[in-house]
This record gives sequence, structure tokens and C-alpha cells, in this order.
Amino acid sequence: MTMTSFLRLGKVLAPVVVVGVGLASLPLPAAAQTPIKIGASMSVTGTYAKPGSYQKEGYDVCIDELNAKGGLLGRKVELVIYDDQSQPATAVKLYEKLITEDKVDAVMGPYSSAVSEAVANVTEKYKKVMVAPLAATTSIFKKGRKYIFMVITPAENYLDGLIDMAAKRGLKTVAIINEDTLFPKASAAGTAEAAKKRGMQVVLQEAYPKGNTDFSALLVKIKAANPDVIAAGTYFDDAVAITRQMKELNVNPKMFGLTVGGDLPEFYDLLKQNAEYVYGSTQWDETLPYPGQKEFLAAYTKKFKHEPSYHAAAGYAGCLIYGEAVKRAGTLDADKVREQLLKMEIKTAFGDYKVDADGFQVAHKMVMLQWQDGKRVVVWPDDLAGGKARYPTPEWGKR
Amino acid sequence: MVGQVVISGLLAGSIYAMVALGLGLIFGVMRVLNVAHGPLLMLGAYTTFWLFQRFGLNPYLSILVSMPLLFLLGLALQRVLVRRVVDAPELSSLLLTFGVSIALVNLAQLAFTSDLRSVEYLTGSFLVGPFAISKPRLAACAFAIAITAASFVFLRSTRLGKAIRAVSQSREVAQVCGIDVQRIHLLAFGLGSALAAAGGSLVAVMVAIQPEMGQVYTFKSFLVIVLGGAGNYPGALLGGLLLGLVEQLSSLFLTAQVNEAVAYVLLVLVLLVRPTGLLKGRV
Repeated sequence: MTMTSFLRLGKVLAPVVVVGVGLASLPLPAAAQTPIKIGASMSVTGTYAKPGSYQKEGYDVCIDELNAKGGLLGRKVELVIYDDQSQPATAVKLYEKLITEDKVDAVMGPYSSAVSEAVANVTEKYKKVMVAPLAATTSIFKKGRKYIFMVITPAENYLDGLIDMAAKRGLKTVAIINEDTLFPKASAAGTAEAAKKRGMQVVLQEAYPKGNTDFSALLVKIKAANPDVIAAGTYFDDAVAITRQMKELNVNPKMFGLTVGGDLPEFYDLLKQNAEYVYGSTQWDETLPYPGQKEFLAAYTKKFKHEPSYHAAAGYAGCLIYGEAVKRAGTLDADKVREQLLKMEIKTAFGDYKVDADGFQVAHKMVMLQWQDGKRVVVWPDDLAGGKARYPTPEWGKR
Repeated sequence: MVGQVVISGLLAGSIYAMVALGLGLIFGVMRVLNVAHGPLLMLGAYTTFWLFQRFGLNPYLSILVSMPLLFLLGLALQRVLVRRVVDAPELSSLLLTFGVSIALVNLAQLAFTSDLRSVEYLTGSFLVGPFAISKPRLAACAFAIAITAASFVFLRSTRLGKAIRAVSQSREVAQVCGIDVQRIHLLAFGLGSALAAAGGSLVAVMVAIQPEMGQVYTFKSFLVIVLGGAGNYPGALLGGLLLGLVEQLSSLFLTAQVNEAVAYVLLVLVLLVRPTGLLKGRV
């Protein structure tokens, strides 16, 4: 017990130490070729500490790679990172400091939609290009901002794959449920839209409060509506509870898909064989045949001794995308780099990048996974699939 | 549909009733509203989880460990802390148990981390005609009924049980009759905690276990004892079943988002119309 608490304490303190060392080791400006400083605040402590640290690790691998290839515009690149403690207000102050006091040459995005939304006001004010690799909320990019760029797929598109697979198999009806908070709500709305576009009927759409643990009545309603597909905008604990209670109430859709939670290894740890056949969506998977994937995996696992999450991959890719735009522009000038970012179409270890005139991501694809014999298998889209979907999902009694 | 939901409601309600009986017992005897009741339930759930994880112990058998364990913890809490505020204004005991509650949750986070855990033991359901009856919930209901019934027999027929009821009716008279009130207080807190632990062991098989899982049961139990009549022990049974039904039916006919609102509106109505609870309790 005490051991675990020490380990936890260690985990909390480690990033602080890392940041501390990072700052202390900032080299004094060399005479001729000063390095390019890229600044960012990161959630190395606080509620987003885990994903935030992964994103930072992604940045680190990217910077190493850029420097190994001779840096940018012939100059070395270095990262200046401060801890925003997962607080938007703190992050705002830190970006002000990075831009006005530290005079960084460029900035990268922080972790999460909430923090990105807050700091975007600062970066816009100072006309700094910011590639925001972990901001998934559409509205951030639809406020007329000029210098912010999106890397991951927005919430609305999380279950496009599920609907596409269902429509292709001739399924007609879908029930959509979601936790009543920002991200799952947007996912559910997007899923409903996609289903209607494909001629499917939404037979039930309902939200449940955050922290709900008893889904019986909701599932009874779904059972009565008898949909072919159940799509759920979830985080994690609700994803587990819904799956379990579907079994208890013998609810048997032909397909059952989740936004977040279904993709995590913990989902299978908790549900064991009851997780079989469940579809989950994810931004990225290490088995995907993207260019540079092997190199990224090798460099990352060598440096950090653990497998990367999608947060790390997105951070890595976001930083590479910025680097590429600078190379193509031949300068750090924000407006010229912006031009490149707007018209660039590239594929990184994280997949496709292409944005519309608002900097909103339009090319990156979510992939659908399905749990098969305890493994996550990519089953959609076809060109990236590592296996075939096991369809239809058998009734609970026949598994 | 309604039939299925009524079944779910009664299954859930039986557990609410048992857990609330524990809270009601402590309140009845000492006029202390134990806000740490839910966190005690959480500790019961973790007891079951660890016994299952480490030793593969049947989660239902682990009730035999979690109840005595939490009984002892209850004794300790009463002896060291709660005893000091029994006669103080009610706010003191609320604040004290609130503090205990926060401490327990945070200690659990440190010791067990906030990762979700589960006891994957019974899953699935019995199909009876058009109804699906969840196996873990049915088992939990059966154990809850048995434990609740045993508690009633204890309260009604044993000397100690009668002493507990006597103290909750009038402490002074009980004391005059030679009942050791301090000892009864200890016993009540221990039993109340043990009932929370039993609830924890049973829900461990149904829902994901994490340090903050308990608080919601504090509120539900509070609702139940007010509905049933504070200090009226059979009232807890009625209140528990009623809460289970109301929650499920309001999710069915309205949406899941309003079921708590409906339950609390019911609470307000009961307080307005029958402030002593549905079965007459002491105010």
C-alpha cells in the first residue's frame, strides 16, 4: 500500500523534475546560430497529467528527429515547456510569458480542447501560428481565428466508421446514447447526422447524466425499440457499465460501438470476454501502416521505455507538421508558415493532415477497432484494416 | 417494458434499503447523520475486490470478511471520533463525518489509485418469459433481503436489539433502565458500518469499483430514511424499494437525466405532507 503511494507520488513529481531540469539546461544564446525556440505549456500535473505528459513525450521525439536531420532552416530546435497544471488560466499566463518574455520563435498547442481554447486568444493576439494537436472541439476552429491548426479528428466524426460499416451491411436502425457533457454530446450529434445521411433511422436518442451507473431503464427502452446498431458517446466507466448491463438485460444489437473507452486495454481488463465484438474508435493505433510509423515507434519506445498512446503520436505529428510547414515556407514568419499549413497535404505516422480555410482538420481518419479474442483489431476503414469485423454480434446467450 | 423496469427497481431498491438501514440505525440511536456511510460502503467493495483478486474468494462469501472488518472500523470511528460529538449540536457531527468521508476517499485514492476495478464473477441474466433478470442483481437482492431480515430479527427479538430500539426511542429512559448507552452507541455504529460494507460487497459485483463510488449511496440512504421515517427501521425497507422504483420509472417515462430530480422532488413532497416520513418516524 505505502509502496503504491510512493510510486504515485513519484509519478506526480517526476514531470516537475523533468521540466525543472529542462529549464535549467537551457543553453545560453550562442553567438552565430541561435537555436529556434518552440514554446508550449503542458499539463504535466493536474487532471490531464497522463495524456499531457504523453503529448510532451511526442514533442520530445519530434524535436530529436528534427535535430538529427539538421534542425530547421539550418538551426537547432529546442523546446521550452512549462507546466500549466491542467488549468486554462495558468496556460494563458504561460503563453503570454513564452511569447513576450522568453521570446520564443514559435509555439505548439497545449493538451485538451479546454486549454487550447483559452490560449488560442493569446496566440491570435500575438499572431503566432499554433498547431494544436490535441484539440478536438470543432468550435475552437470556427471562431474566425487565423493562426490555429487542428490535427486530430473532431468529436462529431468519432463513430463515422460504425455508421459506414452498418450502412454497408444494410442495417436500418440505430439507437444513440451519450453522457450529457460537451464531447460525448458532439459525438452523438455527429453520429445521428451521419446515420441520417446514410438513410438510417435514429429510433432513439437520449443522454444520461455524468456519473450515471444504472442504465437499466435506458436499456429497456432501447430493447423495446430494437435497433440494429447501438452507438454510445462515452468516456470510460459508462462504457464499461453499459456493456455489462446490456448483457444483464439481454440487449442484442447487431453492432455496438463506443466513442472513448472501448479502445483502451483497461476496457478488456474489466470486462474480459464480455468485451468481445464491441467496437471502439480511436484516433490512431500503432499497427496502422502509416509512413514513418516504425521509426516513430522505435524512437519513442527507446526513449521512454513504454508504448506510445495516440496523444503521443498526435503530439509528435503536430510538431512534424509545423516543422514541415517552416521548411516549405523557408522562414519562421507566421503569415508565410500559415499559408503553407493551409495548403499542405501530408501523411505522417499519425495519418493524413489537411485543413480547410479555418484550420479545421478534414483529412485525418478515425479508425474503428473491434475486440477479437482479447486483441484490438482495426476493422475500418478497409484500406487500413488489420482484420475483418466479426459480424453480426451474436446474442449474449450464444457467445 | 414497465414490468422489466419494476423488476430492476425492486432489485436496486432492496440494496438501497439494506444500506439505508445502516445509516438509519446510526441516526436513530445517536441523532448523528453519518456522511461517511457511502465511503464505508466503498471500503466494503474494495475488501471484496482484493479478496477476489488475491485469493479468488467468492465475492458473496467475502461478505463474511467485509462485514466484521467494517464493524471493527465502525467501532474505532465511534470510539475515537464520533463519541465526542454525539451530544454536540448536529452541525458538529455532520462536519466531523464529512471530514471522515473526505479522508477515507482520499486515502483510498492513495492506496488503491483511482483506476476502475471490477469483480467479474456473475454476469448475464436469467430469461423469464419477456423479462431478463440480471444474475448479479438478483443475487445481491437475495443477500440484501436476508441480511435486512436478520437485522430486523436481531432488533426485534434479542436483548441487545431491544436495547438499541430502547435507546433510539428515549436515551434517558433507557439509561434509567440500566442500559449502557455508550455501549449501544458503539454497537450501533459498528452495525451500521457493517451494513454499508455488505452493500459494498454486493455492488462490487455489479458496478465498477473506484474510490468515489460511495458518496452517491450516502445521498440515496439519506433519501430513503427520510422517505421511510427517520428512526423507523421498517420504514427504511419501504423507502428503499420506493426509491428504486421511482428512479427506474422516471428514467423510463422521462429521461435518465431527471431521475434524481424526481427522487428529490418526492423527498420534498414527503417532507411537506408527512414530515415524519411515510411510516411514522421520530422527527
